[in-house]
Amino acid sequence: MSKVDQFRDKFKNKISQEIEKKGRYYFNVENRDLRQIARYLFDEMGCRLSTATGMEREQHLEILYHFSYDETGQYFCPRVIIKDKENPEVNSIVPIVMGAKWIERELFDFWGIKFKDHPDMRRLLALNHPAKLDKPMRYEKEDV
Amino acid sequence: MTENRIPLGPFHPLLEEAEYFELQVEGETVVDLDMEIGWMHRGHEYISEQKNFTQSIYLVERICGICSTSHPIACVRAIEDVDNVEIPKRAKYIRSLVGELERIHSHLLWLGLAGHFIGYDTVWMWAWKYREAVLEMMEIISGNRNHYGMMRVGGVGQDIKPGDIPELLDRLDMIDKKMEMIAKVANDDPVLKARLKGVGVLSHQEAIDYCAVGPTSRASGVPWDVRRDDPHDAYGMLDFDVITRPNGDVYDKLVVRVLEIIESSKICRQCLDQLAQVQGPILNDVKEISPGEGIGRYEAPRGEVFHYIRSDGSNRPVRHKVRAPSYVNIPTYEASCKGISVSDALITLASVDPCYCCTERSLKVHSDQDEKPDLLALSKQKTERIRREYNAN
Repeated sequence: MSKVDQFRDKFKNKISQEIEKKGRYYFNVENRDLRQIARYLFDEMGCRLSTATGMEREQHLEILYHFSYDETGQYFCPRVIIKDKENPEVNSIVPIVMGAKWIERELFDFWGIKFKDHPDMRRLLALNHPAKLDKPMRYEKEDV
Repeated sequence: MTENRIPLGPFHPLLEEAEYFELQVEGETVVDLDMEIGWMHRGHEYISEQKNFTQSIYLVERICGICSTSHPIACVRAIEDVDNVEIPKRAKYIRSLVGELERIHSHLLWLGLAGHFIGYDTVWMWAWKYREAVLEMMEIISGNRNHYGMMRVGGVGQDIKPGDIPELLDRLDMIDKKMEMIAKVANDDPVLKARLKGVGVLSHQEAIDYCAVGPTSRASGVPWDVRRDDPHDAYGMLDFDVITRPNGDVYDKLVVRVLEIIESSKICRQCLDQLAQVQGPILNDVKEISPGEGIGRYEAPRGEVFHYIRSDGSNRPVRHKVRAPSYVNIPTYEASCKGISVSDALITLASVDPCYCCTERSLKVHSDQDEKPDLLALSKQKTERIRREYNAN
């Protein structure tokens, strides 16, 4: 049984909208299940977190995590949809993956997404920006 | 208690890029570290989303002057991944050859800088002299010493002429000979060992926790290498070893890079052998990209470079995410710099191959209940410790 099938069996109630391609596996998860899935991928399977991509869609924001399973070169990509675009908040995975510290700070910087329980929730790239930015860097509703 | 902080950066004559480190020290020992980045933020992802796919490749080539073919390889692989585009066999070998030559010149550049930073300028002069031959090889192949413009969606832009292969092999012979000498220097020289062994250790578990990549993780015994783990282009058809070392100190990072140059040279020879035999096209015609998502990655000299493309079926990406290897390697300083001396901190910062600056200014922060600085007492303690160690040996 492949690793993707094992994963699907274990979390079949918690994942939706799966897309499986050669070496890539994308799926949606709820915010409340994110840490459990991150813990399984990182601690039990031994995946490495490559990065996370933030995206703005018409109705929502989304975060796509990229966990690399280096034994087969497969990518496991959990996607979290954030419907509240005004006050986006997601559970931080830093308590599980230390390497997510800067990744989450960058998402906060770009899209204003706050990460619950992040130990150091500051901007990453525009921390001391001379323009004293008070909005996320990719906030496109005004001033653009 | 007086708190001493040493600001490093953001701008300094020795610094190639702007980064800011604030070392909190007690005497000469680093007890904490704060990092700040952002001076080099140019909005590449946003700019790329305004360009078409072909223009994006040229744009990402200019993210970094050293990894100027790693980003394009990862980018075209991400675009190809959307539709599972296959590339011709000859193009695979050319891609791998150019990528490996880049690894050789990048590692030689780092080796030279590392030598310079520890005051070993002979290594600097030698390494950069031999690097020149690699840049000449790039000029023979692509016409440019840097920013080669070789990568295309579906293959590569330029073929390698059969008449150029002997010239390339001559230069590889020279590099092999010289690298053998440098490997011997690294193995025999007591100065290098005394200066670098046991300095700035990143443990095996810390490398995993921080998701470090490239020589930084491989020197800590974590054998992640995209070329072997997710074989692409010609790597599945080539014979090479992934170099790892167990200790995680600066010396091991140096050894990993020196041995990787020798491995890269072997890969280049295999590619050139195959290019003399495998004929055919170098570019598949890709007319359009379907809606969908694609991930591309490549083992750049500093580690895995990652690109993510989301396409809506038009001629430009709706989202283009780029993650360079230093982005995950720089946070490892939190683990490797604490508890070491200030003089070791500088080479430790340089050991993951970013750019750094050295102690130019010192800043003192006094608290309300200010006490006299006890630097003299700390200095005496250190002298005492050195004397004990010296006598013990």
